[in-house]
Amino acid sequence: MDFELTEEQKAHRKEFFEVCKELEKKRPPSFVGFEAVFEVDECWEFHLYCAKEFAKKGWLGLAWPPEYGGSGTMMDKVLFAEARGYHGIPGVDIFGVQMLAPTLLQAASDAIKKEFLPPIVQGKVMWCELWSEPNAGSDLATLATTAIKKGDEYVINGQKTWNTGAHRADWGFGVFKTDPAARKHHNITFILLDMKTPGITVRPIPYIDGGGPFCEVYFDDVHVPAKNIVGQENEGWAVVNLLAGFERSGMTEIMAMFRDLEELVKYCNETKRNGQPLARDPLIRNRVAQLACELQAARAIAYRIADLQNRNEMALMDASAAKIFYSELGKRFAFVATDIAGPYGQVKTSRWAPMHGAWEKAFQECFITIISMGTNEIQRNIIAWYGLGLPRMK
Amino acid sequence: MDLRFTEAQEILKKMARDFLTTECPKTLVRELEKSEKGYSPELWKKMAELGWMGLVIPEEYEGMGYTFQDLTVLLEEAGRNILPGPLISTVISTFPILEAGTEEQKKELLPKIARGELIITTALLEAEGTFNAYGIAAKATPKGDDFIINGTKLFVEMAHVANYTICVTRTKDGTSPEKGITLFLVDSKAPGISCEVMPTIAADKLCEVRFENVTVPKKNMLGKIDEGWPIVEMMLRKGAIAKCAESIGAIQTCVEMTVAYSKERVQYDRPIGAFQALQHIMADMWTSMETGRYLVYEVAWMESEGQPCAKEASLAKAYVNEAYKNVGQWAIRLHGAIATSHDHDIPLYYRRSKAADTTYGGTDFHRELVAQKIGLI
Ligand SMILES: Cc1cc2nc3c(=O)[nH]c(=O)nc-3n(C[C@H](O)[C@H](O)[C@H](O)COP(=O)(O)OP(=O)(O)OC[C@H]3O[C@@H](n4cnc5c(N)ncnc54)[C@H](O)[C@@H]3O)c2cc1C
Ligand SMILES: Cc1cc2nc3c(=O)[nH]c(=O)nc-3n(C[C@H](O)[C@H](O)[C@H](O)COP(=O)(O)OP(=O)(O)OC[C@H]3O[C@@H](n4cnc5c(N)ncnc54)[C@H](O)[C@@H]3O)c2cc1C
Repeated sequence: MDFELTEEQKAHRKEFFEVCKELEKKRPPSFVGFEAVFEVDECWEFHLYCAKEFAKKGWLGLAWPPEYGGSGTMMDKVLFAEARGYHGIPGVDIFGVQMLAPTLLQAASDAIKKEFLPPIVQGKVMWCELWSEPNAGSDLATLATTAIKKGDEYVINGQKTWNTGAHRADWGFGVFKTDPAARKHHNITFILLDMKTPGITVRPIPYIDGGGPFCEVYFDDVHVPAKNIVGQENEGWAVVNLLAGFERSGMTEIMAMFRDLEELVKYCNETKRNGQPLARDPLIRNRVAQLACELQAARAIAYRIADLQNRNEMALMDASAAKIFYSELGKRFAFVATDIAGPYGQVKTSRWAPMHGAWEKAFQECFITIISMGTNEIQRNIIAWYGLGLPRMK
Repeated sequence: MDLRFTEAQEILKKMARDFLTTECPKTLVRELEKSEKGYSPELWKKMAELGWMGLVIPEEYEGMGYTFQDLTVLLEEAGRNILPGPLISTVISTFPILEAGTEEQKKELLPKIARGELIITTALLEAEGTFNAYGIAAKATPKGDDFIINGTKLFVEMAHVANYTICVTRTKDGTSPEKGITLFLVDSKAPGISCEVMPTIAADKLCEVRFENVTVPKKNMLGKIDEGWPIVEMMLRKGAIAKCAESIGAIQTCVEMTVAYSKERVQYDRPIGAFQALQHIMADMWTSMETGRYLVYEVAWMESEGQPCAKEASLAKAYVNEAYKNVGQWAIRLHGAIATSHDHDIPLYYRRSKAADTTYGGTDFHRELVAQKIGLI
């Protein structure tokens, strides 16, 4: 067993960190946490700017085959995620680059790949995910929005919801019911659509903290070319499962927390209470140290996933375990940091707020990773049913 | 990066698993808990034939010349099965000889350890029960060509059967507690030594060892006079990692046994493993194991490569201590009353989760080290 990176990987890692460190200097102060990209105009602009910069270096196509503009390995992708997480740099479209692209590479026709992959690797087109509906959340296959084929088009009617960044995205990938008469799981088609198509109405929904990272999306006779499908008609469920497998090991979030930990240590060293630095309080020391232990464990399992994926091996159980662990660690981190800050733990971005209000924000935003991408309860089901082979009750 | 075991490690792992399954059944584990010795000399001999005590000893001293990481692979299997006896204490006490011993000491002791002829242990803790240098009060005073040791050591693993005890003593009252510590190899039969087994949760034969005017020749000093604390730190670090590896193996058994039982045990007309309340707990048990596992593998690798890893060792020990205790208590609860019986195997592990936790530093001890190492002033 060997944890050492190759010389080449080390060199890549160094470059990723250097570039991200430089970008951090240009980051607008309103960027507090990655969700700011969807909420604040200047953060979205920064996101697009970073995407262009990364595209120039070919870093949006890491681990893609060269014929679609790809280069590097799975491991490079992980190291790049580390650098972006640590320095808090957006620029990688979670939907387009991280989810859709690997799915297309594996499941789409050549025509679709040729049309849609280049704008992704060039950082030109941003995507959103149009899956959830008011009555189809975890049990996504019960979705009701229909896409009925008419000639060489699908006509879509219905509503999606909780769609992160749909108000900013250029394109969306969605799942729709294409055969209302067919059985559950056998009636769904995976469709790519231009968000500017007539008939689409996007309405931002305010998140807990009042910010607007997500939207509801209404479809009123929306005509989409029938060629814009991934996989076969009515077989979109397989694509959904494939894409879900490409979701993240959490390396970006984990490295962001390592940075937060450094800031928390600094805060404890510099802030006095009861006549001494917070860092001298044994209870605080213990709580912060515990976070450090858990963070190290989170990073260890993320490496485990990287190692498996690097060899094209399945990481189903580990991916679910990592998602549960890092997302709930995010919550614990927010709780501990806001506790330590005492009354300041509730202050929003302002001159009174420690860490520009990042911890107050984390206290509210921790649910994003806990609930989205399959809730943590669903992840526990996955480990229990598919990993441990426990009986699944209908 | 390649996080798979090497072929040699796979072989070691499989051999250890097969060997322990047949040679160290739970009936033996229970017997040894009740026995006076706490280990089986016959089993010890067979382990020596497999080279386990000499695993990390270089070949020139009749060892196997394996790496520290290989050792943790073996210890994970020992933890999986539960292997009572002085394996970890002997192997960890070998490191001060390997790293600080004179050529003469190495030639004299290492081949005997490798052959299974010598059991050694380390006497560190005293009345305060702390792994800090502050707790070392036992005194060694020079007298001619000898040192005279006086003091009482506690929680000394398997001292009652050890041939040698590495005694951590204070030779000078320095400016800081870490200064003035010296290690001595003490023959367990030396006059003035008395030993009594303490009753503990895992019946793992931790001893109180009293030193009353015990004469030790100067040549038995390990390392330099007054400069022994870094050796102790090295030993604690390696010991903590070793204990983590053993614990990960034990956690795995707890998870596997619980999952298997939940598929068989029927209540309310279905296997209890079909209840989601239990499924989610088992998913969390598995997650604890898997997060802890790679944390431990990484630090074992760092130690093996000679990279500085005191911080990582403490991060791992604090994490795995909690994981083992927590998985252990869930394993009992998910089994129901059956696992509260003394005759069930799960409590063998649960009791050891407490023992493992305290060995080479408990959670709060290591969290404090972490606090220092992440820069809290
Ligand atoms: C911040 C945020 C961003 C999101 N972004 C997007 C996006 O971009 N695109 C998109 O399509 N969707 C998005 N979602 C939606 C997300 O995918 C769903 O919220 C998620 O799948 C859960 O569905 P639900 O909210 O309807 O909850 P429900 O499915 O109604 O679940 C409610 C509760 O029941 C539990 N539960 C449900 N089924 C089971 C089960 N079988 N076993 C045990 N417990 C169960 C859940 O874990 C949860 O605790 C986002 C959500 C959030 C919070
Ligand atoms: C110390 C002790 C003293 C006792 N004293 C007595 C006594 O004096 N007299 C007497 O008659 N009995 C006594 N009992 C037995 C006790 O009542 C049972 O242990 C208890 O009812 C659980 O049954 P079980 O042990 O067979 O576990 P099981 O019922 O097999 O349960 C195993 C696991 O499955 C879980 N489980 C079972 N069904 C469900 C479900 N529907 N949903 C979710 N989880 C479920 C349980 O919570 C447990 O975690 C004692 C038990 C103990 C430990």
